[in-house]
Amino acid sequence: MPIRETFWNIPHWAEITQYVLALLTAIVFLYGILRHVLRWRKGKPEKRFDRLGGRLWSFIVQVFGQRRTLDEAYPGIMHFTIFWGMLVLAIGTALATVDWDVTHLFFGFQFLTGWVYIIFELTLDILGLLVIVGLGMAIYRRYASRPARLQNFPAKALARDDAYVLIMLTLITISGYLTEGLRLAVTQPEWAVWSPIGNVIAAAFLSIGDPTNQALHLVIWAFHILTAFGVLAFLPFTKLFHIFSVPLNIFFRSMKPAGALPAANMEGGMGVKEWKQFTWKQLLDFDSCTRCGRCQDVCPAYASAQILSPRNMMIKLDAHLWDKNGHSLHGEVIAADELWACTTCRACVQVCPAFIDHISTFVDMRRHLVDQGRMDKMLQDALANVGRYGNSFGQSDRMRAKWTQGIQPPVPDARREPVEYLWFVGDYASYNATLTEITRMTAAVFQKAGLNFGILYDGERNSGNDVRRVGEEGLFEMLAEKNSQVLSKVQFQTIVTTDPHTYNTLKNEYKWDGNRPNILHYAELLDQLICAGRLKFSKKLGYKVTYHDPCYLGRYNDVYDAPRRVIEATGCQVIEMPRCRERAFCCGAGGGRIWMEEKDIKERPSESRIREAVNLEGVNTFVVACPKDATMYRDAVKTTGNESRLAVKDLIELVHAAL
Amino acid sequence: MKIAVPVKFVPDLVEELTIDPSGAALDTSWLRLIINEFDDHAVEQAILLKERGGGQVTVMMTESDGADDFLFTAAAKGADQLVKLTGDFSSINNHALAHVYADLLKELQPDLVLTGVQAHNDIDGAVGPLLAELLGLPYVGYVAGLTVQGDKAVVRKEYSGGLVAEIEVKLPAVLGIQAAEQPPRYVAYSKIRQVMGTAKIEERPVAGLDLSGGTAVSRLFQPEAAERATMLEGGADEVADRLVAIFKEIGTL
Repeated sequence: MPIRETFWNIPHWAEITQYVLALLTAIVFLYGILRHVLRWRKGKPEKRFDRLGGRLWSFIVQVFGQRRTLDEAYPGIMHFTIFWGMLVLAIGTALATVDWDVTHLFFGFQFLTGWVYIIFELTLDILGLLVIVGLGMAIYRRYASRPARLQNFPAKALARDDAYVLIMLTLITISGYLTEGLRLAVTQPEWAVWSPIGNVIAAAFLSIGDPTNQALHLVIWAFHILTAFGVLAFLPFTKLFHIFSVPLNIFFRSMKPAGALPAANMEGGMGVKEWKQFTWKQLLDFDSCTRCGRCQDVCPAYASAQILSPRNMMIKLDAHLWDKNGHSLHGEVIAADELWACTTCRACVQVCPAFIDHISTFVDMRRHLVDQGRMDKMLQDALANVGRYGNSFGQSDRMRAKWTQGIQPPVPDARREPVEYLWFVGDYASYNATLTEITRMTAAVFQKAGLNFGILYDGERNSGNDVRRVGEEGLFEMLAEKNSQVLSKVQFQTIVTTDPHTYNTLKNEYKWDGNRPNILHYAELLDQLICAGRLKFSKKLGYKVTYHDPCYLGRYNDVYDAPRRVIEATGCQVIEMPRCRERAFCCGAGGGRIWMEEKDIKERPSESRIREAVNLEGVNTFVVACPKDATMYRDAVKTTGNESRLAVKDLIELVHAAL
Repeated sequence: MKIAVPVKFVPDLVEELTIDPSGAALDTSWLRLIINEFDDHAVEQAILLKERGGGQVTVMMTESDGADDFLFTAAAKGADQLVKLTGDFSSINNHALAHVYADLLKELQPDLVLTGVQAHNDIDGAVGPLLAELLGLPYVGYVAGLTVQGDKAVVRKEYSGGLVAEIEVKLPAVLGIQAAEQPPRYVAYSKIRQVMGTAKIEERPVAGLDLSGGTAVSRLFQPEAAERATMLEGGADEVADRLVAIFKEIGTL
């Protein structure tokens, strides 16, 4: 009957030594794990035990299914093979241990016999090969193709860790195969064909013959055991610790809407001044970074000036947790310029295979800077203006609805009469002189659709979405309170806004006393009106257009299809840019960036985006669905000299033209 | 060291200014008030001095919409004492304001009085020199930074053409601040809210105003378009010839 003699060719002393080593390994391993756990526990409390079912499901899909890791083919397959190969080999080893040290030792039977043993051997043999393939891909990638995002910056010492992991895993796998091959070469069991790779190796050793093969077997077995125990024992001290931290981080990821930023820490001043003011989950984030650099590849701040790399931020923050030299978090570890460079576009969070939430960390640190009054003059003025006049333009709040002048019939004041749709206009659409034409066109379309709508006139204030992301939590609260107060006195059914930023905070962050109204982006409303036949087009425009997904509409709120349907309804054809939908590239204005000074920009994100669109065959129109996008891209078309090739149009301009 | 900072609100130019029916004053119904920018710098300079060498900062102003918010903001920056003068200030001018502040300052006995060097509504002169006269103290205006050494201050005064003078002043003194050594700092709203719970605003009633010495406005009006300018075009010689002809025509040559 097929069976493997456990500890074949292993002297009794070696067997005993192995168990002693196993015990030592367990002690070092557990100490290492405990060290991390105790470090996380130094963070502030945060509740992450809600929606356990959803957590478990995402754990299965993302850990065992490697769903997000597989978003990129080469590194995805590379990691998938190593992960599953190593996992099965580890389970196999565990089964063999149970077989020998539990069932055999205590109950006098073994289950790894007969056909079960054959399947066991075949599976392990093939999955070992998978690991070798994965490791080969990894070694080639790191040392031959060398993608920029795997550079050693900011800490050169990390290169040792990278090399160590690849070398050790390779050694363990190869020595495992050699041990098996030598055993098969000596014992030559009739079921050796079920270990195809081991059998090939055995054939190569046959000519050497015993007792050399037996001696070699013992030496290589010892080497295999030592490397395996070594890697295990020191796993918590190397980047392999991600095997432990990343699944935890996935399990404990936020299950709240992406657009709801956690509230600010107010103990000892607003925000995070030193690392112990981060929550335990944020500390787990830092500890989970595997330095894969996917975040860096999609970061607009990195692409435009290399001031900020989300990857490097995580590496520096993690190192800081263990730093004994007492460097200060602000200034010495993380520079203010890095923090201010973030547009909060969420591209990094969306691609991170470890489900790290970079943005909550950046905003928490910005909150401290705001608390200290440390910000550039432009931003300071913008915040002061928002506080005083309710808009960042520093114009009188009484002028908020000036754009409505001359519109007939006049736009109703929702504070005076009940309306079905309350249009929350937002700062840019109200005050920016170059955008009011679009705003008036929106009103015209609403009127043509026979919409019963009104606005708040000077009762409206900046919604606070970007104020909050700048880190000015107190001002955000004040704005939210004042807007909520006005809204509580207005009779309406649905809020509609053209601004994705406003849309996000109204939908995900305003409290509404548990009674949130229906909130729509105008793309969604137009889509509904078209579907219901309330908005009918008389023309087919026939343009070839591309559509830019606003961060706060797409990535933050998953609205991707409504605007595309509206564009198609106007008779236009949407040609997608390479970076579209979840991967859409930020215009660079979000997170308060539009209020800050630009520093050492190589290529503005908006310019990169326009160049991307210009490369599309036959596309002459760039459609936006966000007032800030309209200003950003109109500028970028000019600065890149593409005015004659590409027209930037708001979604409403297409709708209006097709009516 | 005791530092007193008397400040005032001025009309916010973000709002359109309208003249009231009398034709000699602003229409106050649409008026919104904002801190005089130079006074804001005076507060910042006082806080900087306190942070550098210790001391007690008192900020004082007359009551109006937004006065409490401004005083609490000053407290959040680091001011120790907040004084709000109450009464009817609708007819006030800078002479009267100086009297009101002088009464308070005589009682307070500060080592240093910092106030904005000017305001855009200073019709009857700036507050600083008036105050210095009433208190019998030395005054230096257009100050952009100072250091205090014992019972004297070395102040930096800016002149046009980029000249800077360092002037030694014996304390106590009144200084008209042109600019603080750094722009007025931003105070997070959470800090202001916190201060609102702890800081106290002292209210000081003012019985009457002494308007003497002030000016009487006979007419207030928007800038009126003057006669249109004529643009001379063409080459240099041609333009020069035209100029000479014009000068002769109007009799200046």
